[in-house]
Amino acid sequence: MAHQQQGTSNISYREVNDDVIKSMTETGRGFYLVLAVCIVGLALTFGLPWAYQIYVGQGVTGLQSPEYWGLYLTNFVFWIGISHSGTLLSAILFITQTPWRRSIYRSAEAMTFFSVVTAATMVFIHMGRPWNFYWPFPYPNQREMWTNFQSPLMFDVFAIGTYSTSSFLFLYFGSIPDLAAVRDRVTGWRKRFYGALALGWRGTDREWHLLQKAYTFCAVFIIPLAVSVHSIVSWDFASSKIPGLNKTIFAPYFVIGAIYSGTAGIITLMVILRRALKFEKYITKVHFDKLGMLLVVMSLLWTYVNVTEVFTGWYANTSYENEALKYRMFTTPSAYLFWLMIACNAFFPLLYIFRKIRLSIVASLLISIGINLGMWIERFLIIETSLPRKFLPFMWRDYHPSWVEWSITAGSFIFFTSLFVLFVKFWPSFSIYEIKEDIGIPMERKGR
Amino acid sequence: MSKAVLGFFPYVDKLLRAAQRLKDAGFTDIEVLSPIPIGHEIEHILGEKKNPVKYFTFFGSVAGFIFGTLLALGSAALYILPRYGKPIWPLTPTVIITYESTILLGVYITLIGFLIFGRLPCFRERTYDIKISIDQFALLVRAKKDRLIQVEQIIREAGAEEVKRVDEK
Amino acid sequence: MAGFIELMLERFKVYREPGYYKRFDYWWAMVIDLDRCTGCGACVTACQAENNTPVVGEEECGKGRNLSWIRIERYIEGEYPNVKVKFIPVLCPQCDRAPCEVACPVYATYHNQDGLNVQVYNRCVGTFTCATYCPYDVRRFNWFTYNKKNFLKGNGGSSTSFEPPLDQQLNPDVSVREMGVMEKCTFCIQRIRAAKDRAKDENRPIRDGEIQPACVQTCPTKALTFGDLNNPKSRIAQLAGLSTAGDLHYLRESGSKISDISSNPRTYRLLEDLNAAPTIFYLKRVMKNGSSTAGHE
Repeated sequence: MAHQQQGTSNISYREVNDDVIKSMTETGRGFYLVLAVCIVGLALTFGLPWAYQIYVGQGVTGLQSPEYWGLYLTNFVFWIGISHSGTLLSAILFITQTPWRRSIYRSAEAMTFFSVVTAATMVFIHMGRPWNFYWPFPYPNQREMWTNFQSPLMFDVFAIGTYSTSSFLFLYFGSIPDLAAVRDRVTGWRKRFYGALALGWRGTDREWHLLQKAYTFCAVFIIPLAVSVHSIVSWDFASSKIPGLNKTIFAPYFVIGAIYSGTAGIITLMVILRRALKFEKYITKVHFDKLGMLLVVMSLLWTYVNVTEVFTGWYANTSYENEALKYRMFTTPSAYLFWLMIACNAFFPLLYIFRKIRLSIVASLLISIGINLGMWIERFLIIETSLPRKFLPFMWRDYHPSWVEWSITAGSFIFFTSLFVLFVKFWPSFSIYEIKEDIGIPMERKGR
Repeated sequence: MSKAVLGFFPYVDKLLRAAQRLKDAGFTDIEVLSPIPIGHEIEHILGEKKNPVKYFTFFGSVAGFIFGTLLALGSAALYILPRYGKPIWPLTPTVIITYESTILLGVYITLIGFLIFGRLPCFRERTYDIKISIDQFALLVRAKKDRLIQVEQIIREAGAEEVKRVDEK
Repeated sequence: MAGFIELMLERFKVYREPGYYKRFDYWWAMVIDLDRCTGCGACVTACQAENNTPVVGEEECGKGRNLSWIRIERYIEGEYPNVKVKFIPVLCPQCDRAPCEVACPVYATYHNQDGLNVQVYNRCVGTFTCATYCPYDVRRFNWFTYNKKNFLKGNGGSSTSFEPPLDQQLNPDVSVREMGVMEKCTFCIQRIRAAKDRAKDENRPIRDGEIQPACVQTCPTKALTFGDLNNPKSRIAQLAGLSTAGDLHYLRESGSKISDISSNPRTYRLLEDLNAAPTIFYLKRVMKNGSSTAGHE
């Protein structure tokens, strides 16, 4: 029962409570500095350009005919992809009872929720009339206007709505015991705040029993849900007729890419978190080792799917498909991006084969950031090299994003960071009770 | 207002021993308060617990399935808007909507079931001690007033560090 | 109760049948004779005037944001001196199986009872998906508010659209579109509506040739013809070589190529293999090697 191989067995229960609660209550100057930078950056790179775009119109972007989808959709797919490892990985590792899940899953789940929120904002930014953002939701109204349930975008509304609420509830219900632990230790407004959030949790055997059951059921739901979400996002593209997008391989391709980029995102996050919160004793090298192995697998899968994509296009040998492939790999003005993506996603992660690289924090950070750069480029290329080469050559036109789009792209990263910065302050970012489970149940006679 | 006994244990095996002895002595209303789940161990002694949540999960999923189907097909039937040369009631897109809503309501109703049977949220004072959320495992035993002394004795003998009487509403 | 079940079964059959709307009154279609087309661009101008399409100026046109609903595509083949220039007017072909219709989450585009692919400006939220799904690239987007001055940006380089007194020339039958909505060729639906009203008042079906969209009306060489394809005796059915009811039925029901159905060897449809079933028929002989009979040398 006791999983003591993680090197956490010599930590006492009290120490876990102290460490996690200290990270929430003791606020240094660095935190306020980061928060201030985030808020100012958010206003400058995200808020103002978006306000400008809403006021003047979508014309301030670089979009044009036929390039109606641009950086915003790239970011949307990217953030949905990032969201894929947190809750999905947490659920899979929970069901398979993997012990090293316990100290990383809480922040990974938060990453899921926040990146889904970021992706959702991208959809609204992308809209031509964002003040009508509520129209695609199926709500009863007196005009009796419903929505088109045949539309792939409607699948998106359902999939992302379900995914964001479910992953939030998964995160929340998983942290109720920890919120209770925080409630017991704080004073003032925090006492009331966490008291309300903890719902009066006491930790009775009945509560634990039911929580574990409900949590397991939710985990079972989350796995097919997460797979369906990115499949559905891929169908936004794959259900069109456009060469380069209309591919049956897109659903598994996107899901693999999503898990890949999400796992890399978790590694980046772990490096930053353990440094910022001084949690080296909970996020150990074991975690980097295991996630590194996972990345090698995902990298090989990703490479396989990419090669298959080119192969099927090559064998199909239709003029549309040939042109799309040629454009993507060689003739686009940003063809170097394709080869940069291949380097970042297919070659550098193979370094993880070496145990030394897996255990090296710096190498992990570099490779994981590289993977996410590559994955962003992948989404960019999927959209930006297919739409400019649609069927009628008269309409072929390259796409050049405007400063507004680049700024909001940068802003989306700041948006995500800000949410996360607030999260580590207001939420127990490590699972107190599951780290305790990791340490082992205290027995008078050891070696039961 | 009745009295109950709350005994704190630093070690789980001692708590289990106490629970076993209490059970043997004929006490049935035993509750365990712990900082981590120790369900498997305690179930051996106090008996397997029922899991009513699974019915919520099942009926939630079924409700989600029906909801999704009705929403997708019903709202399409409200007015005939042909599109894409496809039927008004298409199969494939409905399956996707239904799939998502099955999961949506399945998750929601599972968690509602957990709240109902876990008696949460509850904001009135209940027997609790903040040590429990740190590292103490507690046994809460409710019994008739004249038997409380016997309970205290058993718990103390089993190795509890602290035993106290509490008011139970 | 039995009656109710019967009704439901009947409805179910109706809803499950893809072509249940084939009992349309009309099936508007267009024939474009490329051998007659001189590429003068009069149709483009006429469309712009009829449909209140803003003029966006040089800079925006260079970005590919001109809003004209019909365009003359030019293709230049070969090197000097053996240069062939070919052109083809492209406008929304009102596909029977339009990919754009399935894309819209809010029903802003759907198929109406005349077989037209219509765009509801008021309902559009601007997801761009319809334009992306369109294989013909005929959908146009209102990138700015073109009909009033904007102090941050001079209407994307052109502040002249509909400035007084130009607002006096706007067509009162057509709405001026708001910023952020998609628009496209409607086959001049305002004229179709007017003709239907007139026909209803006089209690008769619409006569062949009674409706002429602006582009058809303007074409100096009569390269464009508009009409009802449900009527095998109509001029466009004759031109397209679909002169029997059986042909039309077959065209509607099957996904086969127009060249297998039509008796006119010159008839073809643009990008027919995508199976979007466009209802614009181009007339030009396409040779086996993909070239056409007569280029404009």
